[in-house]
Amino acid sequence: MRAGRARGSAFFKTIVRSIGGSLGRFCAIMGIVALGCGFYAGLQMCGPDMRLAADVLYDGTNLYDIRLASTLGFTDKDVARVSEVEGVEVVMPAASCDVMVRMGSEQLAMRMSSLDVDVARASEEQGASAVASSDEGYVNRVFLREGRWPRAPDECVLCADKDVAGMGVGDTIEVLYGTTELDDVLKERMFRVVGLVSSPNYPYTGSFGSTTLGSGTIGEYAYVSPEAFVDDAPFTELFVRVDGAVSLESGSDEYEAVVDEVRARLEGQGDSFAQSRLQDVRADAQEELDEATRKYQKEKRKANKELADAQEELDEAKGELEDAKAKLEEAKTELEDGESELGDGERAYAEGADQLASSKDELDAAQQVLDESYDQIQQSRLELEDGESEWQVGKQELLDQLGLDAGTSLEAARTHVEDMLEELRDGTAQLTEGIQRAQAGIEEAQAGIEALKGAVAALDAQLAQTADPALAAELGARRAGMQSQLGAVEAGLAQAQATKEQLERQLSALPDPSELEQALEGIDRLEETRVTLDEGARKLAQGEDEYAAGVAQYEDGVDRYNDGEAELEESASKLEDARAELAKGRAEYEDGQAEYEDGLREYEDGRAEYEQSRKKAQKELADAKRELDDAQADIDAIEAPDIYVLDRSQHEGVMAHNADSHRMNSIADVFPFIFFLVAALVSLTTMTRMVDDDRIEIGTYKALGYSTARIASKYLLYAGAASVVGAVVGIAVLCQALPYIVMSSYGIIYTVPLQGPPFAVDAVVVLLSGGLGVGVTLLATWAAVVASLRETPATLMLPRAPASGKRILLERVGPVWRRLSFSWKVTCRNLFRYKRRLAMTVIGISGCTALLLTGFGLHDAIWDIIDGQYGPVYHFDTTVGLKDEATEDDVQKVVAYLEQTGAVDNLVRIQSQNMQAGTAPDDTMAVSVRVPRSADELERMVTLRDRLTKEPVPFDDEAVVVTEKLCSMYGLAAGDKIVLYEQDAIGNVSGKGAELRITGVAENYVAHIVYVGKNAWKTVDDDEPVFSTIFARTQEDEAVRAGIADALHDFGDVSTVAFIDETIGMYRNMLSVVDLVVVVLIVSAGLLAFIVLYNLTNINIGERVREIASLKVLGFTKREVYAYIFREIALLSVLGDVLGMVLGSFLATFVVTTAEVDYVMFGRQIHPLSYVYAFALTLAFTALILLLMRGKLDKVDMVESLKSVD
Amino acid sequence: MAFVEFRDVCKVYRMGDVEVRAVDGMSFSIGQGELVVIVGPSGAGKTTVLNMLGGMDAATSGTIELDGREVSALGEAELTQYRRHDIGFVFQFYNLVQNLTALENVELASQICEHPLAADKTLEQVGLAHRMDNFPAQLSGGEQQRVAIARALAKNPKLLLCDEPTGALDYKTGKQILKLLQDTCRSTGRTVAIVTHNLAFTQIADRVIHVREGRADHVELNAHPADASTVEW
Repeated sequence: MRAGRARGSAFFKTIVRSIGGSLGRFCAIMGIVALGCGFYAGLQMCGPDMRLAADVLYDGTNLYDIRLASTLGFTDKDVARVSEVEGVEVVMPAASCDVMVRMGSEQLAMRMSSLDVDVARASEEQGASAVASSDEGYVNRVFLREGRWPRAPDECVLCADKDVAGMGVGDTIEVLYGTTELDDVLKERMFRVVGLVSSPNYPYTGSFGSTTLGSGTIGEYAYVSPEAFVDDAPFTELFVRVDGAVSLESGSDEYEAVVDEVRARLEGQGDSFAQSRLQDVRADAQEELDEATRKYQKEKRKANKELADAQEELDEAKGELEDAKAKLEEAKTELEDGESELGDGERAYAEGADQLASSKDELDAAQQVLDESYDQIQQSRLELEDGESEWQVGKQELLDQLGLDAGTSLEAARTHVEDMLEELRDGTAQLTEGIQRAQAGIEEAQAGIEALKGAVAALDAQLAQTADPALAAELGARRAGMQSQLGAVEAGLAQAQATKEQLERQLSALPDPSELEQALEGIDRLEETRVTLDEGARKLAQGEDEYAAGVAQYEDGVDRYNDGEAELEESASKLEDARAELAKGRAEYEDGQAEYEDGLREYEDGRAEYEQSRKKAQKELADAKRELDDAQADIDAIEAPDIYVLDRSQHEGVMAHNADSHRMNSIADVFPFIFFLVAALVSLTTMTRMVDDDRIEIGTYKALGYSTARIASKYLLYAGAASVVGAVVGIAVLCQALPYIVMSSYGIIYTVPLQGPPFAVDAVVVLLSGGLGVGVTLLATWAAVVASLRETPATLMLPRAPASGKRILLERVGPVWRRLSFSWKVTCRNLFRYKRRLAMTVIGISGCTALLLTGFGLHDAIWDIIDGQYGPVYHFDTTVGLKDEATEDDVQKVVAYLEQTGAVDNLVRIQSQNMQAGTAPDDTMAVSVRVPRSADELERMVTLRDRLTKEPVPFDDEAVVVTEKLCSMYGLAAGDKIVLYEQDAIGNVSGKGAELRITGVAENYVAHIVYVGKNAWKTVDDDEPVFSTIFARTQEDEAVRAGIADALHDFGDVSTVAFIDETIGMYRNMLSVVDLVVVVLIVSAGLLAFIVLYNLTNINIGERVREIASLKVLGFTKREVYAYIFREIALLSVLGDVLGMVLGSFLATFVVTTAEVDYVMFGRQIHPLSYVYAFALTLAFTALILLLMRGKLDKVDMVESLKSVD
Repeated sequence: MAFVEFRDVCKVYRMGDVEVRAVDGMSFSIGQGELVVIVGPSGAGKTTVLNMLGGMDAATSGTIELDGREVSALGEAELTQYRRHDIGFVFQFYNLVQNLTALENVELASQICEHPLAADKTLEQVGLAHRMDNFPAQLSGGEQQRVAIARALAKNPKLLLCDEPTGALDYKTGKQILKLLQDTCRSTGRTVAIVTHNLAFTQIADRVIHVREGRADHVELNAHPADASTVEW
């Protein structure tokens, strides 16, 4: 026992001494293990530490688990409905809106949300990651960093985590417009900044979210009191905390499971929420519309009435005018009549004067005629008296002749004569007639006698023949009758003959008529004379009457003449009067006419005015009507809201942080591999060397009877001690340092506060990394020891046969080989002599180079985002965007301004639209779709080219060019199809999309862009594109730019003015995170190189002390000795360096693609200069280490060469 | 004027508080072209003499001259030049570079000198023309020592210093090496100094320096040194 203990302690002492005696070796193992374990554990812990820090913050600030958003907003009823869902712990409603604001000279998109300021004021901040509040319903608790909480509706608090336009407490921001009509949302337009806050809801300062405004990224957020929002504005989002989620780590599977359950429940009830919300909204809107319609109807009636009144008034005026006109006409006619009358009068007057003159002549002539006719009348009277007396004598003679009284008139005489003549003639006629009648009776009676005689003869014949007594009787009777008749007719005949003879005698007894006829003739003559005499008498009387009449007439004529003369004089004066009156009437008429015309004009004016206002009123009414109809249509078209149930995994900022934390894990899986590999090799070589050094000792122990295991345990203990110490130190340091560095770096873009140092350390990770480090070392040690231990003590006691020299391939190339100096030859041969060392050095150094290259490559990749995008791809430095509703004229004005500033060399107009693109609606990316106005112009501002060949990608009006990253994400190439979808306010796909065939793939780094030619665009949208985004090149001068920005902002339609310098500045700030990582990589690479090279040099020198001493003895100068030893190391370094280039390319590519985010494409090419840097830096490390190791060479004593080989 | 001159040379090592006088007032001289054997027991200071003579170590006091040059006054860099051009060193354990062939090992030395002898010729001279391209591990001890001697000779040094040249060799081979050294001295007229503890070697030397306790105890001159092949030990 005692001996054993003593032996054990002696053995232990040898171990301790061996450590003391070879501290370099010990430290090498310790260092590499520390690096390996530390890096592995440290990097592994970065992700969990980041997530833990986030979780602490989220829990401490009561960040929502589920967020509900609705296209129609929410009401208190919805809040109540959601609260009732199982698993919902708390619901906090909030109103928010995305708006464009002006902050100083900048204009950017901001998200404005309501905050219960009373609750916020009552809350209490507890450290950097927690806000305590008595109100459990206070979700997304906000830290107040500066100033105070808002009190008035026009006060706000802004983000404290990011400097935006230098805004601070006391400044004012102006809200310009929003995604929705501002009047529907906000009461105020100007807000005073009263405080700066930090919200857990915006952990990522790179982007506070996406919006459809401006550049599409929310650059600032603000909280206002709920009073800043209009009273009936609905809540836009509901923040839900889930029961039991707080105790789980945000983003962990357990957390997701708990939240998903509630989320599924909420989604399940989404439809019913949506339907009830739809009804509410419709009813509200309808009510409002009905009110508006009523108002419209009222307005319409009023307008119509006003119009009718005006019309009536006009009509009245018109009637009056027409009356006036008729009157004027009448007056005119009257005037004309008067005038013509006057003319007539004048003419009549002249005529009258003429007549008067002629009537005077006539009167004189009439007087002469009268005198003549008086003489004639006296003559005639004398002649007439002579004729009368002659007639009286003749008449007396006749009357005497006839035997009549002297007093008998001629008439009576005539009648007497004629009566006697008549009587004579009548008797003659009567007698003649009676004779004739008697003659006729005679003849008739003769004829009757003949007939009766014939009939009697016939009867006699019959009687003769008849035997019939009856008949004979009868015939006898009839014959008797006829006999009697015959007797009567013969008596009548005799009488008629007697009468005739008497009448003929009477006729011859009548007197002769001629005497009577002569008397008649005398009477006729007398009568004729009588007529002539009467005629003369009558004529005389007539002449006397005529004469008397002529005298009277003449006297009348004289009177009339006198009258006419007087009348004429009167009418002359009347004419004068009429003429004056007429002149007056005309003047009056003309006045009336003028007045009338004035009235008419006035009327026309009134009429026109009326027409105009009528049209206007009608148009306004029609517009109003259309608006109402539209509104109605809108209401009818209101669809059930889409209700989005979003959890933290759909929160851009939270996810960005989470994704970055996982990215760290991916990197953590690869980087330390190099360290572990190198650790193994370092241990292997070191321990091999150690075992070789200890050959005799081992042999001695063996000879002394120590077991193999025991002997091996010395080395295992040695390596174990080194690796355990290394692991502990490495893990202890790097598990704090790396998370600190990484999280501090991320602190530039994330507001998540550090939870440490000390940072939480995961035991599993520690044990795993420590175990790996120690295990690898022990394994390597065992491998190194086991070969030697198999040897017998005797062989061990002998010096190990030196590894023999070998010819190498290069020697076959005689000419080259012969030219090499011995030291080169020895170097070349040595390189391949110790393969383990070669592997260790080459791998170690290549790891160093790879790390450096990765660092520089990562730096390149990230800075290439900027350097590749701005300059090679984008040639513009200014983007001017106009509002959606801007017209071509508005754009023209801005273009004109830009052109006339002269500060702008060149500009290109495009239509820029934020859309979603992908291959299926459920898998899309946000893209910017750009339609240039002119396909040819585009290249002035944007170069579309292939990244590798630098060949230009053709672009015309039919082209569809998609940026590289987007294509690679969906595995698309030219000729494939891509679908563009419209997006709604929340960024979800809407519509069924338009399919386009990709014609080219273009280099691009920031964002996803689809360049679409004008014609190709038509298949996406029928509307004529408005090219309201302008890419321009301005002068570098900042003052000029500021002037341009100010002037542009004064154009009401300009929504965005972005200078790429500012964008670049922002990116630079964000990307400076990478620089720290690069520094970490460089430092670790340096450490790696140092450990490897130190170890190698150490071993090399230790092993070749004798050789070195010999060379020194041979007279090698210091420099030659250095060269002899270091050349080999340098060569191995170069070899490792070269290999590291290859390894580094892969590693860098891996890290770059792992670290790459969806939204950007990192540069894919490591810059040649980075290769140079990595290469040179590795060589510099080598040189540095060799410089340090020179002393060790110098210390080699030449006396060593004289010593025996041990 | 002696070719090599040691005058009152002292070498004091300080090991902690202890002062060790390895060489304590050593004085001797060697003539040009002589074969000298420096002999003495272990710890007598012969290796220190060798070191100082070879320019590997500086004397604490006294003067060392070689061919009229005061070696003891040289700086480190000058000592290097001195070793390079004036001294040829043959080690007990040959100290060949394992990774170079015999020829290359010779060239290793010849390439750094101003007037080297042809490496192959030198190897031929030591009888190794046929093994020129062999690596040391492929050579026997004697052959390796021959290479080492060739390496030293190729530098065309003023003085060939040999430290127990046969110490690692068997008797027969040792004798051959000794013969080679003697022949070299005789045929080329080169001054050769052999440091050994083996008294048998004194027979072949022109001059024998007996070293004891850090001093040259006595110097004996052989008017007729024996031929190396006849020496027995």
